[in-house]
Amino acid sequence: MTFAGTRPRRVSPAEVRARLGEPSDRASAKIRDHIDEYFHHFIAHSPFLTMATADSAGHVDCSPRGDYPGFAKVLDERTLAIPDRPGNKLADSFRNIAENDGIGLLFLIPGLRESLRVNGRAYVTDEPDVLARMRTEAKQPELAIVVEVEEAYFHCGRALVRSRLWDPASQALADEMPSVGEIAVGQFGLDVDPALIDDDFEDVYRKLY
Amino acid sequence: MHPTQQTTIERIERAAEDVVALTLRGAAGPLAPWEPGAHIDLNLPNWLIRQYSLCGDPADRDAYRVAVRLDPLSRGGSEYIHRFLRQGRTLTVSQPRNNFPLAPAPEYLFLAGGIGITPLLPMLRAATAAGRPASLVYAGATAETMPFADELRSEYGDRVRIVATKQQGRPDLAALAAALGPDALVYCCGPASMLAEAEATFPADRLHAERFQPVAKEYGPATPFEAVCARSGRTVPVPADETLLDALNHAGYPVPSGCREGVCGSCELTVLDGDPDHRDDIGAPTDRIFPCVSRSHSDRLTLNL
Repeated sequence: MTFAGTRPRRVSPAEVRARLGEPSDRASAKIRDHIDEYFHHFIAHSPFLTMATADSAGHVDCSPRGDYPGFAKVLDERTLAIPDRPGNKLADSFRNIAENDGIGLLFLIPGLRESLRVNGRAYVTDEPDVLARMRTEAKQPELAIVVEVEEAYFHCGRALVRSRLWDPASQALADEMPSVGEIAVGQFGLDVDPALIDDDFEDVYRKLY
Repeated sequence: MHPTQQTTIERIERAAEDVVALTLRGAAGPLAPWEPGAHIDLNLPNWLIRQYSLCGDPADRDAYRVAVRLDPLSRGGSEYIHRFLRQGRTLTVSQPRNNFPLAPAPEYLFLAGGIGITPLLPMLRAATAAGRPASLVYAGATAETMPFADELRSEYGDRVRIVATKQQGRPDLAALAAALGPDALVYCCGPASMLAEAEATFPADRLHAERFQPVAKEYGPATPFEAVCARSGRTVPVPADETLLDALNHAGYPVPSGCREGVCGSCELTVLDGDPDHRDDIGAPTDRIFPCVSRSHSDRLTLNL
């Protein structure tokens, strides 16, 4: 889609508020400043979260984190810890956190429509007692991200209902995507068989820790 | 290879400070039999598999009992059981396995540290029922933290010594060793410090110990080798950065696994030829290997697969 040299119209914050109306009392009241037993219950069953961080200039990143349910540890009602498992070593989140400690988390539980949002301040730790709680298959992470919780609340499930995210039939969408190898070949103009790249990724996915 | 069993969590009760006891009733009739010293895997709803010693009565085929201490450094097993597991839900458990069997002996000394009491409870009961002289020294930080202490006192009287180490100090193992009958066997389960002291005090051929955490160990760098699967005639390369268990799984051999750190024994395989590099904490017999941690000194290791 193009806009003939113009950008889509920008709506002012005041106009946005006017169009959405005021939030209900119930929506504002659900925000808590700590991890209560229900939030803890949610985190203990969540195998996946997205982590949003930003650098000092406001450039934002959002990255996926996942492991067995409860991989994010509730250290106490104001503190979470998230393991840093082997990844692409770009360390975008770490770099951002060093400049700007704001962090936003969205936890998901497969099959559950509601999600959990946790916002707060982050720093990086190598505290042995924290890392020990993250040991998997005899390996423990080198680092973890500590989150000092400022806000926590359940997010209603309409987005997940509309997206049919947990409907098994939705997984047919994946079949419509080119493979990761085909994408790499196309994006980087490589002269290799995409199947070889696909095989490489399968090997990478075998070594998770 | 290891069929699982369905149970219903009939009861979760507090057994001591930070200890709960679970009663797991067979959901489809009698459960698999077991001998003192056996443990089962609990397949927790958070995908974790954790091993706990059976501490009930082997004659009760309808239910298993386990007791679980909340580990302050929980990775999600004991924390889940304490905080989130609910009575009435179903729980998949493994067949009982026994890495800590009770050998026949004319006399027994049982040494328990904290939650290490669990495998020793049925041992003490079995030894007593067989008319063997058997005594238990049961150490814990304080009386409040020690499950089953009252029952033990009332059932076995002065054959049980409860030692609250914060007030009384640690039991004098050397004195126990000196008083030990010539053919008595010693069974010890407890924290690493107690096991180390027991290993330094009692003759190795008379001490049977079970640990519930892997010991920190140093090995040379892992080297690649080949696993020869004798029954299927296939050879599986095991690269240096992959475990034998993972290599076999990825090659299509459904070897089951539990702890994946050499403690539980659920991945046990039979070695037909080669020189295994044992790295487990169970003490693999010469013809067995636990492929989750152990590797091979020889270039090829032949397995009964």
